[in-house]
Amino acid sequence: MFFLIGLGLGDAKDITVKGLEIIKKCSRVYLEAYTSVLTVGKEALEEFYGRELIIADRDCVEQDADSILAEAAEKDVALLVVGDPFGATTHTDLILRAQQKGIAYQIVHNASIMNAVGCCGLQLYCYGETVSIPYWTDTWQPDSFYHKIKSNRTRGLHTLCLLDIKVKEPTLESMTKKKKEYMPPRFMSVSEASQQLLKIIQNERLDCVTSSEKEQNFSLAYSENTLCVGLARVGSPSQQIVAATLKEMSETDLGAPLHSLIICGDIQPLEEEYLQQFLSKSCPASIFKNHVGS
Amino acid sequence: MVNFTVDEIRGMMDKKKNIRNMSVIAHVDHGKSTLTDSLVSKAGIIAGAKAGETRFTDTRKDEQDRCITIKSTAISMFFALQEKDLVFITNPDQRDKNETGFLINLIDSPGHVDFSSEVTAALRVTDGALVVVDCVSGVCVQTETVLRQAIAERIKPVLFMNKMDRALLELQLESEDLYQTFQRIVENVNVIIATYSDDSGPMGEVRVDPSKGSVGFGSGLHGWAFTLKQFAEMYADKFKIDVVKLMNRLWGENFFNAKTKKWSKQKEDDNKRSFCMYILDPIYKVFECIMNYKKEETAQLLAKMNIELKHEDADKDGKQLLKVVMRTWLPAGEALLQMIAIHLPSPVVAQKYRMEMLYEGPQDDEAAIGIKNCDPNAPLMMYISKMVPTSDKGRFYAFGRVFSGKVATGMKARIMGPNYTPGKKEDLYEKAIQRTILMMGRYVEAIEDVPSGNICGLVGVDQFLVKTGTITTFKDAHNMKVMKFSVSPVVRVAVEPKNPADLPKLVEGLKRLAKSDPMVQCIIEESGEHIIAGAGELHLEICLKDLEDDHACIPIKKSDPVVSYRETVSEESDVMCLSKSPNKHNRLFMKAVPMPDGLAEDIDNGEVNPRDEFKARARYLGEKYDYDVTEARKIWCFGPDGTGPNMLLDCTKGVQYLNEIKDSVVAGFQWATKEGVLSEENMRAVRFNIYDVTLHTDAIHRGGGQIIPTTRRCLYASQLTAAPRLMEPVYLCEIQCPEVAVGGIYGVLNRRRGHVFEEMQVAGTPMFVVKAYLPVNESFGFTADLRSNTGGQAFPQCVFDHWQILPGDPTDPSAKPYTVVQDIRKRKGLKEGLPDLQQYLDKL
Repeated sequence: MFFLIGLGLGDAKDITVKGLEIIKKCSRVYLEAYTSVLTVGKEALEEFYGRELIIADRDCVEQDADSILAEAAEKDVALLVVGDPFGATTHTDLILRAQQKGIAYQIVHNASIMNAVGCCGLQLYCYGETVSIPYWTDTWQPDSFYHKIKSNRTRGLHTLCLLDIKVKEPTLESMTKKKKEYMPPRFMSVSEASQQLLKIIQNERLDCVTSSEKEQNFSLAYSENTLCVGLARVGSPSQQIVAATLKEMSETDLGAPLHSLIICGDIQPLEEEYLQQFLSKSCPASIFKNHVGS
Repeated sequence: MVNFTVDEIRGMMDKKKNIRNMSVIAHVDHGKSTLTDSLVSKAGIIAGAKAGETRFTDTRKDEQDRCITIKSTAISMFFALQEKDLVFITNPDQRDKNETGFLINLIDSPGHVDFSSEVTAALRVTDGALVVVDCVSGVCVQTETVLRQAIAERIKPVLFMNKMDRALLELQLESEDLYQTFQRIVENVNVIIATYSDDSGPMGEVRVDPSKGSVGFGSGLHGWAFTLKQFAEMYADKFKIDVVKLMNRLWGENFFNAKTKKWSKQKEDDNKRSFCMYILDPIYKVFECIMNYKKEETAQLLAKMNIELKHEDADKDGKQLLKVVMRTWLPAGEALLQMIAIHLPSPVVAQKYRMEMLYEGPQDDEAAIGIKNCDPNAPLMMYISKMVPTSDKGRFYAFGRVFSGKVATGMKARIMGPNYTPGKKEDLYEKAIQRTILMMGRYVEAIEDVPSGNICGLVGVDQFLVKTGTITTFKDAHNMKVMKFSVSPVVRVAVEPKNPADLPKLVEGLKRLAKSDPMVQCIIEESGEHIIAGAGELHLEICLKDLEDDHACIPIKKSDPVVSYRETVSEESDVMCLSKSPNKHNRLFMKAVPMPDGLAEDIDNGEVNPRDEFKARARYLGEKYDYDVTEARKIWCFGPDGTGPNMLLDCTKGVQYLNEIKDSVVAGFQWATKEGVLSEENMRAVRFNIYDVTLHTDAIHRGGGQIIPTTRRCLYASQLTAAPRLMEPVYLCEIQCPEVAVGGIYGVLNRRRGHVFEEMQVAGTPMFVVKAYLPVNESFGFTADLRSNTGGQAFPQCVFDHWQILPGDPTDPSAKPYTVVQDIRKRKGLKEGLPDLQQYLDKL
């Protein structure tokens, strides 16, 4: 049997009772450690579960999944995933392969950032398509997520931005060599994400100046003054939430990872009331005016 | 004694119209270095009597021992021209009105094909070329190669017929036959010139013409030479004809009847060809008298010629006397100097039409204008074409040409390697130039600064450049174009130190070796093997010797030489190849197709290249190769290294986000074309088409980490399903020998999979020239084998010519290519056996 178990967001104790029972009876337990990370380390989990965990990095899960599944045909094998197993898009492939091989599987759900963002007061049903913001390099600066934010905003929807994490990614130089060298782990902060978002609208403005045809119905998805909500370490005791303009957000330090960012759409009165408590001091109270009914 | 000082030279450097930068180029053993001696001795650097024996520009011991030039050597010389000769320089840009002196920066280059990269490096920094042809052997394969290169670089040639002494003494040719030989060589040379340039081109008329004085005749060994101008001057007074008009009369179909004193255009019974009568006959006469020891006649002749022998020469006879007499009568240095000063372009003239060939950046920026005008006050633009070892082990002079501005000791400049792209920091250093120096053959002279139009060396930039580069003070400067070599490093050996503890010394030595030679490649395979790749056996031999003796200074073990292969395909992929990214969210669909014949060569030659304007390139591909023009407009890249002879085409329709993964796909393509699936050799002549792409909507799930390896897998699957083949390098081999030896040549070639495609007699000689194709892999020991089978009478010259498919399927264990692939895999430490398609091809 193959078990895919969600660990939740906070610390070791967020696991469900059902999940914990399974972990205890499995012969091998893998900990997936590249789509998200817990604020506590592997050791804390091992101590709490009372058993040894095997770290499964990207190469292991993506390219060596068959070896994980092969064991699952005879014994019980579990793969632990931070958040909900299907919160990230990555693990559906594992289940598909298990199905192809005729291996029985079971999913144990848990909280994910996809629902935990509710903690900031913005209603879950008012979110549009979720986007991921990747780390830019000198030569690779994709901005396709900008257009998704734009389409969410035109419909008045909030956009949840998941921020890039690089736990163990090969460097670009070593990618085309046999011996991989890995970059040091990096986790994108809300300020870094905001800076990239600001860069995009600067580019858009430049484009608009150079191409006259766009000028007529030119509008930006958001501006420096758009209201955003930054969230850090959701579900853990040190959780932190700040509501501020995008410009302010680019200068805000929310501390240790993981971070997420919300670009607000239209704000309902109740949402406004709830958000007040997170509003940064320098943020004008009039900020909501731009959002209601726009 | 040297008849000029460094200060004089420095003074001349500012008179850019009076500078001539020139290379001496020719087939091996046609006497370049020997001829160069004549000029060196005229400059007073070596004694006249030693000229022709010293080979002053052969500075290395092995060059002197083997009697072959290995490295090109530069030397700067100062000469003054007489007033009567100056009138022949009509272009105002070719001479400063008040200056009779000329600064000649001469580079003597090697003739052996294995070192032709040295020739390329020399041509880049010069504007004119003295093409030397042995009048006994005529125009040979390497003559053609270097001449073609010269024309392509827009270098103006003058021709010199060398070894006339052999024609007279050994072959005893009749004067009319000798004229015919000369005539034929001039024609051959002009045919080559006409093939690669035309008179309406930017250089104007390039062809050489004896009656204009751009062809010299003589003997470098004996130190005498003349052009028609010298003889026309002798006779001008007597005939009361203008020198220029007389020069026209002295060449071609002009006959003179001594009795009737009439000129004619046809040969008649009692008239004689003017060239024979007025030029060859007197020379024959001198030879005849002296070599037959006719003392009295000789004395009379000398008196008539106004030649007074020096006291120490008076007792000489035979060949020794002949040398002295001829050298006094027709000093080679003088004739050469006139050819160079009158017919080769000054930097002012040459840089006008060379700029567009030299500069990669916009043709109207400050650097481009500076180069075009050869302006010493513009920003500095200097091209470093090679590194010259200094006496300080491991350090090099960076040798090159200042095209614009001024380079000075202590000045700060931008040092840009070939991988520099404007606006980026890669391959760019801003450093001070420690010293500027003047290259004087065997020694160097320090010099304060060097203005545009001159050739010089720099101290202190060697550590920032691998082999070549651009030095500038202009912040927005682009690179000067990299040189295109006519030969490729197709022969390789693996080296290791005899004592494993010496490995660091070997690594350091290889770095130095890579610097010291414009062509050699020193590669560390991922298996840890150190590879040296060179143009041929001789080139490698010299490199290994240098490595052992000069660069690493340790005993070295070397493997047998092996050749590089190329991987290609022979059909279109028989399935649509799909590869999924590791996270399974992205899918690529591709196919491989062989390129049509000739396209890979077009890419090699730069006829089709990544910098082309894409619409023009698509039109060209459409017209010449029947490519669909819409598809051909969407060439994403060439590879390996961004310029190689493989292409990636985007044949998709309406795929969203495609441009966001383009860089990753290109990176994967560069990787895969560099290391093909069969044996990790370069790919060649493969076109890859991307037909469809499915991408995850989130950019984060389609970064380089996902796309690069997937692209490679997809390309490999495409290669494997398109009937993969191996290509091997093939030499064009030219063998000169007497008729009796021809049979032996065929035998040797047959045993080595070679085939003869041309066999002809050299007109006017008993020699035969056999041209054949010979696989490089079969060429090791070929020279020795050939000599032993022809009694030492056949001497081959092998030039890399083309890549050829090795017949047979490399995936079939009984075929030869299979064995080759396995050998390469074993050598590279790869898994033995065949690559498994299932590793690369995914199911839908």
